[in-house]
Amino acid sequence: MLKIRELTFGFRSRRLFEKISVELRPGELVHIAGPNGAGKSTFMSIIAGILAPQKGTIEFFPGAEAGTPVDDRRKYLEYLPAEANGMYTKMSAVENLKFWSNLRGRDVSGRVIFEALEVWGLNHPVIRDQLAIDKFSTGMKRRLALARLQLSGVPCWLLDEPIYGLDTKGLEAFHNILKSHLNAKGMCLVVSHDLKPLEGLPTQTLDLATGRISK
Amino acid sequence: MKTPNAFAQFRILLANGIKSELSDLERLISPLLFALTILILFAFAVGEVEPDMRIKLFVAEVFLTTFLALQISFSRVFEPARTDKVFDLLRTYPVSYNAWFLAKYVLVVMLGLSVALPTIFIGAIMNGKALANVSIWGIIPVTVLAVAGLSALGVLLAAITMKAQSRQILYPLLYFPMTAPVLLSAIQVSVTYLEKGIFNSDSKAWFLLLASFDVIYVTLGVLLFSELVDDSQ
Repeated sequence: MLKIRELTFGFRSRRLFEKISVELRPGELVHIAGPNGAGKSTFMSIIAGILAPQKGTIEFFPGAEAGTPVDDRRKYLEYLPAEANGMYTKMSAVENLKFWSNLRGRDVSGRVIFEALEVWGLNHPVIRDQLAIDKFSTGMKRRLALARLQLSGVPCWLLDEPIYGLDTKGLEAFHNILKSHLNAKGMCLVVSHDLKPLEGLPTQTLDLATGRISK
Repeated sequence: MKTPNAFAQFRILLANGIKSELSDLERLISPLLFALTILILFAFAVGEVEPDMRIKLFVAEVFLTTFLALQISFSRVFEPARTDKVFDLLRTYPVSYNAWFLAKYVLVVMLGLSVALPTIFIGAIMNGKALANVSIWGIIPVTVLAVAGLSALGVLLAAITMKAQSRQILYPLLYFPMTAPVLLSAIQVSVTYLEKGIFNSDSKAWFLLLASFDVIYVTLGVLLFSELVDDSQ
């Protein structure tokens, strides 16, 4: 369970959001809503651990209820930033996925990586092994980042504009992995201007401007 | 969730750093080419000089060339991580900051030695006459210690300036004065050794000073890296 209490952040005199509280339990998905510049990506960066909040707390509990929080929430979160994929651009898709998985302590075999790449239409020997990431199209890079997300094996996903650059097939694959993740008692916070891939999923919406949560 | 221990993370990060360097050979070759160019220019401009002066020139050109060539390596320490927000993503992973610093540090030492050692050997060939009666092997440990000290500073300052808007100015302003003790002691040990052919008590004192600065800078790196990189506290 991810528990965010009274999170406040701003740049100099400009307050982005104030006293935002939200609880995310296993199997839940919360969509973060707000106009451009409302601080949605900043909010995600804070949860991911890149920025510190000015006020408020973020705690992760191993179960569905609050108890003793974990010592390092980064072990339980996988973050997908907006406008970037977090990939070493001179290295191949397989090298990147192996690196990030190993860093999580997952000794993934080639077969597991190929299966994840298959889901995203990237399981071609040239694409996965020989092509540097900087030769990938925008959509292919995003697909690879989503393959890393799938391989991470962590319960809580933080997705900032996850479907940027995806085509129809990619959107379908995204919807399916998100659905499987939630069915497997995973959690997800999403920032997205396109809500179509979230249709049919048990989504709550957090309005960052007011702090209100609606179903 | 089980995460690898700090040593395993160090190995993963170092292996990935080496792969990343090898995937972009220009990053390896350009400092070496730069070093060779300087050596040739030195030899061409200075011409014939007395053997004593030749020893001093050899030491000066080796350390100057290594120092400047290392600048190219250091300025690119975090370049692969700077693209595509890899640096930010690494900070969201449960990575030990000590493992991260030491992996970067060892990688930079390796890159530094890949420039410094060829520079010594090529420099020795160019100054063959003056160095005929002395083994240049003695200055290898001195060079290794100098590179070790400079690299610790290089990684630390690259991390300091990673997020600074004025990194192009801040880096040389901080780096050049702080490298002076390392460079001066390395040069003193080398000149004394090459002139006398042995490490005497004077050079041993300078050697100790050089090693001490290495220990100080590596310790500073280990202690400060997390403070510099982690913005989440």
